[in-house]
Amino acid sequence: MRRVAIIGTGQTDYASNRSDASQPELVREAAKAAIADAGLRPQQIDAVLISNMELFEGRALPELWLGEAAFAAGKPCLKIATGGTSGTSACIAGFHQVASGLFDLVLVVGLEKHSEGQTQTGMALIDPFWDRAVAAGALGNFALSISQYMAERGVTERQAAMVAVKARRNAARNPHAHLKMPALTVDEVLASRPLAHPIRLLDMCPQSDGACAIVIAAEKPARRLCPRPAWVKASATRHEQPYIGDIDRRLVTMRTLRDAARSAYERAGIRDPLHDLDVAEIYEPVSYAELAWYEALGFCDDGEAGRLIEDGVTAMDGELPVNPSGGVLSSNPVGASGVIRVAEASLQIHGRGGERQVDRVVNTALATGYGVYAWADVVVLGAQP
Amino acid sequence: MNAPNGGRPPIFIAGVGETGPFAQDPRSIPEMVLAAVGMALADAGMRHGEIDAVVTASVDLFDGLTASNIAVTEVVGAVMKAETRIAADGLAAAIHAACELRSGAYQTVLVAAHGKASMSDYRALTRWAMDPIHLQPLDVDFLVCAGLQASAMAGVDGGAQRRWAELAARRRAAARGFALELSAEEVLASPLVAAPLREGMCAPLGDGAAAVVLSVLPPAPGRTSVRLVGMGHDLDRHTMGDRDLTRWEGLGRALRRARADAGLDSSTARIDLAEPSCLYPHEEELFRDACAIGGETVISPEGGLFGGTAPVVAGLSRLIAAARGLHEHRHYRLALAHGAWGPAGQGQAVALLEAAD
Repeated sequence: MRRVAIIGTGQTDYASNRSDASQPELVREAAKAAIADAGLRPQQIDAVLISNMELFEGRALPELWLGEAAFAAGKPCLKIATGGTSGTSACIAGFHQVASGLFDLVLVVGLEKHSEGQTQTGMALIDPFWDRAVAAGALGNFALSISQYMAERGVTERQAAMVAVKARRNAARNPHAHLKMPALTVDEVLASRPLAHPIRLLDMCPQSDGACAIVIAAEKPARRLCPRPAWVKASATRHEQPYIGDIDRRLVTMRTLRDAARSAYERAGIRDPLHDLDVAEIYEPVSYAELAWYEALGFCDDGEAGRLIEDGVTAMDGELPVNPSGGVLSSNPVGASGVIRVAEASLQIHGRGGERQVDRVVNTALATGYGVYAWADVVVLGAQP
Repeated sequence: MNAPNGGRPPIFIAGVGETGPFAQDPRSIPEMVLAAVGMALADAGMRHGEIDAVVTASVDLFDGLTASNIAVTEVVGAVMKAETRIAADGLAAAIHAACELRSGAYQTVLVAAHGKASMSDYRALTRWAMDPIHLQPLDVDFLVCAGLQASAMAGVDGGAQRRWAELAARRRAAARGFALELSAEEVLASPLVAAPLREGMCAPLGDGAAAVVLSVLPPAPGRTSVRLVGMGHDLDRHTMGDRDLTRWEGLGRALRRARADAGLDSSTARIDLAEPSCLYPHEEELFRDACAIGGETVISPEGGLFGGTAPVVAGLSRLIAAARGLHEHRHYRLALAHGAWGPAGQGQAVALLEAAD
């Protein structure tokens, strides 16, 4: 497979309402920043991929309107949409397009502007006969799976609250983050409003406006343009049953993420993820999910996730910092969230993380995507091809 | 087998399947897709287990479903498998699948597209694809844009209406879909829907699903042996005023990319068969012009989309028609499949197919 690397990233600031910018303006802001970060001019981009969940803004084929803002006029441009994994899936599509030899430089832009739509309405448009009534949207279906996960693995509300605190404190060092809460405490999370047992307000991700972009390059331009490219070592995607009732103990087993990680680790030569990875940017829509992902991603044995967060293993100064950016719990423009994971993992390899740069040389970084009921994307990046 | 263009693995169209187009298919979306996928797998002589990855094409707002590939995950066999979804015409999804194959990530990829215009006011939904600040409030939809484009072309061309009516009548007569057969006079007498376009000129939109198996593995002896040798696509500017509406420049760019990709010179590599995605007769003229197609090329021998088609499925159905054409007419060497989406052909895709030796 042709070598592929990420050589530039660009992000807007994320907020609950970016009324100062239209959707195309957000796209342009992120695209322009990523292209400049890669040391390119817009004309040099060969093709563009856009990631967006169009129903959240009530749009059809949004790339038709947004393409020009992404410098795509007169170029190949497609839109990828796979729910929460849209962003990571668009990045993986970009890896494939560059690896195919069809293009040398591909721009991926993820956008969501939740303030201009009704996200819960969009998410409720699932199978009208079965799941719509009981599990539409992120809250209901997560509440069901989390209760089961807690019962089987003994994870506590306090341990989940610690994840929420870590995310919002990390976000305070990320200039783009939506929820920056440097002084947030576990007790404050536990005292926040219950949404659907056991999920409380501060356990849950926000809805954000914003866009994020990356530039993917073939080997030659990557070496020429970037002093420390983030090489794509492996990527994997696994999709799952469309009905929540058909998925056996979703968060407990998380077989999609488990299998995608196994496959990607194998190709990237990762045997012990906790030691072999230097940083991880994982897609955690809710605090409890991060704990379940620790187990599925092999950071610890099943049932050990609570100990991992209690011991600070995944803190900024821990053995494997998870989500130095503040993660999805701190910024969540859905169509962009997966691109943000890949961009933030790349930033850490580029050494351009600013205040959120982890205090070590990052040679291997992990990014994941999560969507629908248990769809999973895994991307492993490395400082060496 | 010769690997075309610099030792790249050839991409074979291993199997195709299609259901519809129907004016109204009583089946659900998953049932329709299941039928198309079943036919494509049977045509390829494969099982789901031999498919490494899936690329689907669908548009959420048209389906009234969020991430509408959720509806088809099971029937395309994507549970615990890699699937991605291109929200555009089905031919663009096939082109992305070909990229996946060329990248070396997979050996066999299934492409599936579905569209069900009967269950919605498709025309109204296309308004939601228009610039919501400057165009949507004016009730501009895809049909209105086609009318504007036809109007720009007909402006100085007094014979356009009759010529288009004759073309539409000819295509309808050759087609096997659900569109009524009409004479040119009947087309000219049909109601104006977006001046100068009349109802009888427009390809009716209905329900359908299509599936194609693409593979780098050579087909078993005796099976269809057609290769996808070149691909290109393009997104033009959105606003009508920013484009020369009398030309499909985006298609010209897409075709140039496809030819360059295939290493096929336009002066020597004659296209024997063209299967364009044209919903209106003026689009077929734009297509001929953009692709510099002359009398030596057979265009839409089975009527193209004029017999009826389904949104999103159209381009993939053209890929299937082009592959079948190459298979059935052994003297055809090179075929072109075309997909278009968006207002006045804003999005364009081209795939070049070659009969394998």
